[in-house]
Amino acid sequence: MKQKTVTQSMSWLHTWCGLLLGWVLFAIFLTGTLAVFDKEISWWMQPELTDQAQSPAAAANVAQRWLMARHADESNWNISLPTERSPDLGVSVGERRRGGGGTHLDPLTGEPIEARETIGGNFFFHFHYTLHMPRLLGVWVVGFAAMAMLVALISGIVIHKKIFKEFFTFRPAKGQRSWLDGHNASAVLLLPFHLMITYTGLVIFFLIYMPAAVDALYDGDRQAYFRDAQPARAAEQSQREQQAPQGGQAARGEQSGRGEQASRGEGRSKPVASPSAPLLPLGEIVSRAEKHYGAGMIGGLAVSNPGRANAEVTARPVLGNRMELTKGEGMVFNGVTGELIRAPEPSRTSQLTQRVMAGLHFAQFGGYPMRWLYFICGLVSCAMIATGLVLYTVKQRKQTKANQAFLRFVESTNVAIVAGLSLACVALLWSNRLLPAELASRQDWELRLFFGIWALSWLHAWVRKPLSAWREQLSGAAVLALTLPVLDLMTTNTSLDGIRLPVLASVFAMGLLAGWTAWKIPTIVAARKARQPRLDRPVPGVSS
Amino acid sequence: MNGSALLASLVLAYAGMLGFCLGKERHWKQLVNPSVPVLLRRLCVPVGALLLGLAVYTATRVWPGGMALVGWFGLISLAGFALLLLIPYAPRVATGLPVVGGMVWAGWVLI
Repeated sequence: MKQKTVTQSMSWLHTWCGLLLGWVLFAIFLTGTLAVFDKEISWWMQPELTDQAQSPAAAANVAQRWLMARHADESNWNISLPTERSPDLGVSVGERRRGGGGTHLDPLTGEPIEARETIGGNFFFHFHYTLHMPRLLGVWVVGFAAMAMLVALISGIVIHKKIFKEFFTFRPAKGQRSWLDGHNASAVLLLPFHLMITYTGLVIFFLIYMPAAVDALYDGDRQAYFRDAQPARAAEQSQREQQAPQGGQAARGEQSGRGEQASRGEGRSKPVASPSAPLLPLGEIVSRAEKHYGAGMIGGLAVSNPGRANAEVTARPVLGNRMELTKGEGMVFNGVTGELIRAPEPSRTSQLTQRVMAGLHFAQFGGYPMRWLYFICGLVSCAMIATGLVLYTVKQRKQTKANQAFLRFVESTNVAIVAGLSLACVALLWSNRLLPAELASRQDWELRLFFGIWALSWLHAWVRKPLSAWREQLSGAAVLALTLPVLDLMTTNTSLDGIRLPVLASVFAMGLLAGWTAWKIPTIVAARKARQPRLDRPVPGVSS
Repeated sequence: MNGSALLASLVLAYAGMLGFCLGKERHWKQLVNPSVPVLLRRLCVPVGALLLGLAVYTATRVWPGGMALVGWFGLISLAGFALLLLIPYAPRVATGLPVVGGMVWAGWVLI
């Protein structure tokens, strides 16, 4: 008797946690899954760029020549080097964060390339943890949803009575039975992934979600914690802040101004500039850094005081030669002599633990096979959440006491979240090709189209009967995805390379999946009619 | 990237999960010809466990150290999920896949 009560209350918890936060969670999981290939999507979204197969070292020299000719008097250069995932050479000057704007150069000739402005795959990455809200608010909402996910996972394990008996059980075309089987199997078989990705997602923002331990230990002084955790970086930062009170915050842990000389020579406004001295070829520094990190592992360079005696070059690795997430790490070289000033320090145990967990979430290690595993696991997670959402409506529809207005709300929200968001994501790719390349504030238009179409899907789901809404929106997403290659051929004249082709093929495959689902819906309706020849009452909004 | 080791890991992960699956009476009846002696069913789980263990070894040839474990978890989860979908729709493919996969792998290694 007591056992039954526990199961019942857990079931209640699972239902409401899963339903109310499931909508948010689906959006988080879908965009997170797409963000696994964020760089590849960005590359596809800038068809003006071409892969010239230039080595990073040679590309660094090309960038250096261009910067020397135009920005010799700048105090900071930032260069993003061509890598396996993004064979693009980008340069920017000043205290700009890496990856933000700048000029694209042809890695062979050094000619500037006019690439269209786009929100790129980065949009999915940011949406994944902020839901496009103000950052801190978004991080909190996503954290709350992640906690609900953990609650739903644990309560789901408790209420699932036959975990091992039904480990491989899936009985299709049996109505509620099939939905439950699908939901259970996708949850149980991928349980390690679900638990890992949810827990590690929370660990990334441990300082935001659970600051109590650090605050208690350091008496509320976060800077003291920072100094203890990363002594070298904290020292740089405090020096920089002493010298330039405003500049320190923006550049924290990112670039430039390393060591005592750097802060002296920072910026053109400095009273004493170091004597001029030729900068070493940057390709040479890339080669030296590659000896430490491995060939092709250098993602970018930050040069401070180029052309001066106190020039310093920081070589930043791409993430992914190990599980630990080493954002902001780098090797600092003397820009004139090329001697190594500072090598990355190994993380301490507690920090290593946190960074390995964050690395597990970011999935930057293990190359493309690992990326694909994460991507497919993410898709199954989305399917798990979606089947759970549908299962609620399938169950409620059978209950005579169900609140019809609420059921209607749930059904239309399900359509708008699952089918509508998928549609909006493909539509974003379409808008990238259809909007004029030279349009002013183009990113904003891409955003407007994405959210506009998502809002329309909401309206459509509300107006149409649920099953028609499902079918129409899934068909829409399928048609857009299946015809994306045609649109790509018609609107761009770049050849498909080893990055853009897989992007298109994956979108096409997902289009087939959406199309198959839409195709199956009439069969579901027919089967449901056959199973339930007589209904006690007409069900509003459902065609059976 | 070690392609043949990756394929071997995938085939072993799938075969291992198939072993665990056939160890259950329901799926044994569903997938195996009734003429096969039932005693063999008892062997399925230990053999499956062995194959999953071998998959750990081959995964270490694809990824170094701890990454191999992460990859192994991903492989066995997805292999199990693929098996789950194959059983109702294509039961023969479900049981035949490890053989085909093994032959493709052998071909890859020999050529």
